[in-house]
Amino acid sequence: MATYDNKAWLLKNIRDAFIATDDTGLCEIVMAGEDFSKIFQTKAIEEKKRMKNRIINRPSTSKGRDSFAEDDERDIATLFDPYPDMEDSDEDPMYGSWFRHEEFGGHRQRSNTAQWLDKKELALKKAAKIKVVKWEEPYPQLTEDQKAEAFKKVEVKRPQKQKSLLTEQLEKCPDLPHRQYLEYAKFDGTAQLGLPTKVFKIFMTTVPEKHQNYPVIVCVIASAKIKDLIGFTCYKYSIEHPDITLGSVHDYGLCIAEDDGEVDWAFPCLDNNEPCSKFGFTCLGLIDTKQKDKIIQVTTPIPDIDMGHSVFCFPKAPDSGQSNINSTKQHTGGSDTSEIMKAMYSVTEGKGLGFQSGPPLTDAPQDKLYRVQLLHKVRASTPVQLCITLDQIEVVPLVTQKHAFWSRPKYFLHSMNSVAWCQILEAKSNKTSFRIVYSPSHDTAFNDSYTAGNSSAFQATAIYKKHDFECDHDTARRIVDKVNTILDLRNSPCRREYKNTKEKKLHTRRSFHTKQLKS
Amino acid sequence: MTMSGDGPAGGSQVALVTGGYDHTIKLWQAHSGVCLRTMQHPDSQVNDLEINPSGQMVAACGYQHIRMYDLASANPDPIINFDGVTKNVSRVGFQENGQWMYTGGEDCTARIWDLRAGRQFQCQRIFQVPAPVNAVVLHPDQSQIMVGGQSGIIHIWDLKTDHNEQLIPEAEASIQDIAIDPEGKLMACVNNKGNCYVWSLGGSPPRPVPKKHIQAHSKYALRCNFSLDSTMLVTTSGDCSAKVWNTKDWTLKRELRHDTQRWVWDAAFTIDSRYLFTGSSDSYARLWDLEKGTLEREYCGHQKPITALAFRDQAV
Repeated sequence: MATYDNKAWLLKNIRDAFIATDDTGLCEIVMAGEDFSKIFQTKAIEEKKRMKNRIINRPSTSKGRDSFAEDDERDIATLFDPYPDMEDSDEDPMYGSWFRHEEFGGHRQRSNTAQWLDKKELALKKAAKIKVVKWEEPYPQLTEDQKAEAFKKVEVKRPQKQKSLLTEQLEKCPDLPHRQYLEYAKFDGTAQLGLPTKVFKIFMTTVPEKHQNYPVIVCVIASAKIKDLIGFTCYKYSIEHPDITLGSVHDYGLCIAEDDGEVDWAFPCLDNNEPCSKFGFTCLGLIDTKQKDKIIQVTTPIPDIDMGHSVFCFPKAPDSGQSNINSTKQHTGGSDTSEIMKAMYSVTEGKGLGFQSGPPLTDAPQDKLYRVQLLHKVRASTPVQLCITLDQIEVVPLVTQKHAFWSRPKYFLHSMNSVAWCQILEAKSNKTSFRIVYSPSHDTAFNDSYTAGNSSAFQATAIYKKHDFECDHDTARRIVDKVNTILDLRNSPCRREYKNTKEKKLHTRRSFHTKQLKS
Repeated sequence: MTMSGDGPAGGSQVALVTGGYDHTIKLWQAHSGVCLRTMQHPDSQVNDLEINPSGQMVAACGYQHIRMYDLASANPDPIINFDGVTKNVSRVGFQENGQWMYTGGEDCTARIWDLRAGRQFQCQRIFQVPAPVNAVVLHPDQSQIMVGGQSGIIHIWDLKTDHNEQLIPEAEASIQDIAIDPEGKLMACVNNKGNCYVWSLGGSPPRPVPKKHIQAHSKYALRCNFSLDSTMLVTTSGDCSAKVWNTKDWTLKRELRHDTQRWVWDAAFTIDSRYLFTGSSDSYARLWDLEKGTLEREYCGHQKPITALAFRDQAV
């Protein structure tokens, strides 16, 4: 548009064309003002009439008069014509603006336009609040009186010695807890002009529990690295809570957290050197990396298992037993793994064990392998590896007698949903035996043959089976504790039913007992 | 101790305002170093900041605009926008009662803007000089304005008589800043060679008499300012330092440097002349104890160099 120097045409074009962007606001002034193109148009018509009359009335050669009569009025270009060449060009000024619309066609992105309009409106509203004072050229003459009034010479007094309020405030406030994080203050994203920013909800897990209720909401510039985000969070927190001491920025990490502040301890901390913009999470937990190391020795990603490949009580060939042990590490997880983990953490957190004092109730939610003896009714016990995860218990035989057909050990895989009970049976001088009770009928997740319909039929006559194991006292206690924690957390139908039946049995026994006493 | 929410409106009238290349203006709680608010200064760096006599507003000048921000509200946008200057506005200041505002800029003018409400007549004035204006300062008697700039000339513009006088302290050097002490007895200027010139204004008749030449800095000097008790003069420079001079004997009192400090663009004293604020290209503002020569506070939050600061203290 800048290539046109015809004012009239420009005004008309601004009015008629669909202006998509104009940051200068000039178009708006034109639109709001008088329609000059119309004024010009009427003026042009008048001018043409006048010129025509002048030419007609002008004494001239005969040719002039005749030729003019043939010509159209339009041939006279006046000062007020929108653009003299316009009618000759392909573009008809009458439909100029219409053609422009046509260019966008029916596919014009309405939402974008609407968005732009919204933005524009907002900017206008903002601008409306700002009083604009234009420089006015000064009056050529100010009278002496006026000058004397406005630019009175005042007597300069020697300023008195004064005490500064700032000096007083500085004396009162010598200790600045946030000072150590000051360098991170520049990552503050609030009120940044033109810089992309990101807002995070940060849950402070390192501070005393009563202060953990609310996350710190921080807004940083998007290019800030995770370590800068940690620093800025500490900065902001120490300003809001000067009474709470935070440690060094280098000791902290940021973990993914849920909306309610539950930190996913299983995931590694976000990489300190990556920019925040790279991550999509908005809820994060600020954790002490040393504490995390204590809580989780092994960090393994939550694996997802392909259910179709899981086997229930699959008899393993003795030879392949060894390789199977390695593969067990991959065998965890159902769809609800993370749910359970969360619940688990909430238990450990809730009891304040995992973070503040003592070893956590379950020292690792990950796979844990135990070497124990599987007890058999009739024959000697066989060594097995017991793998307990949140979702399953796996019994992998450790083969010793390769050729003994009759003692070929079996491989078992029980879904946690099918495990009903776990308890210590007997403590001997150097060994403790414990029992895991399970119900094959509840192992639906691991066995496709049970459909929802007939599984209920099965539940009616639930059959419980058991494995008895033996190992040293400590390991036995640990395994039993671990399994029971997981069972309590899951509280599966299988476990509930088992408990119910057990309680009923107890009750009948008791009532029998009381009856006996009464009689 | 509360460190947030105690803004200038909240009882305390102490306000530190900084602005710079990142197109923002920040209001700080001076004693804690916490940034209370960030205001937007779109499309331009901030060349100068000045808090108005009532302490309610801060004026910021930049490219083509002088904007006024409300210090008491949370509004991040200016409330008044002074418009109609074609180039950079380099300095802004106020008449002591807030009746008018003066500015100077690269359009080779010094201007007076009428701020009076319900005025009978307009008192706008314009003073044309041959070169871009870098420095404008109002004499404490409120009737003379010193205008200095690229040409190296200081014009003394008498507002009542329109008479003007010229001073040329050094040939082929541009005037970067001019300061007059609160008693109106000393005038100092610094130039792009790092030199500082001082005149005595106290004589009778009140004409500037050359008093002292200090080779203050090895590089470009940027600002000069007198303390309220007139005992000190601070000069800041591109040599990454701010230097505080005793006006009694023109000896160096303090050289304020910091490892990370870069160009020092602006400086302001507290009213008891004990502390000094500086703003630097490393995007930090700093508070120095001039008695001890120690760094007391740092103000971090700007993304880019701080080129201007304004400080308003309160007497107790």
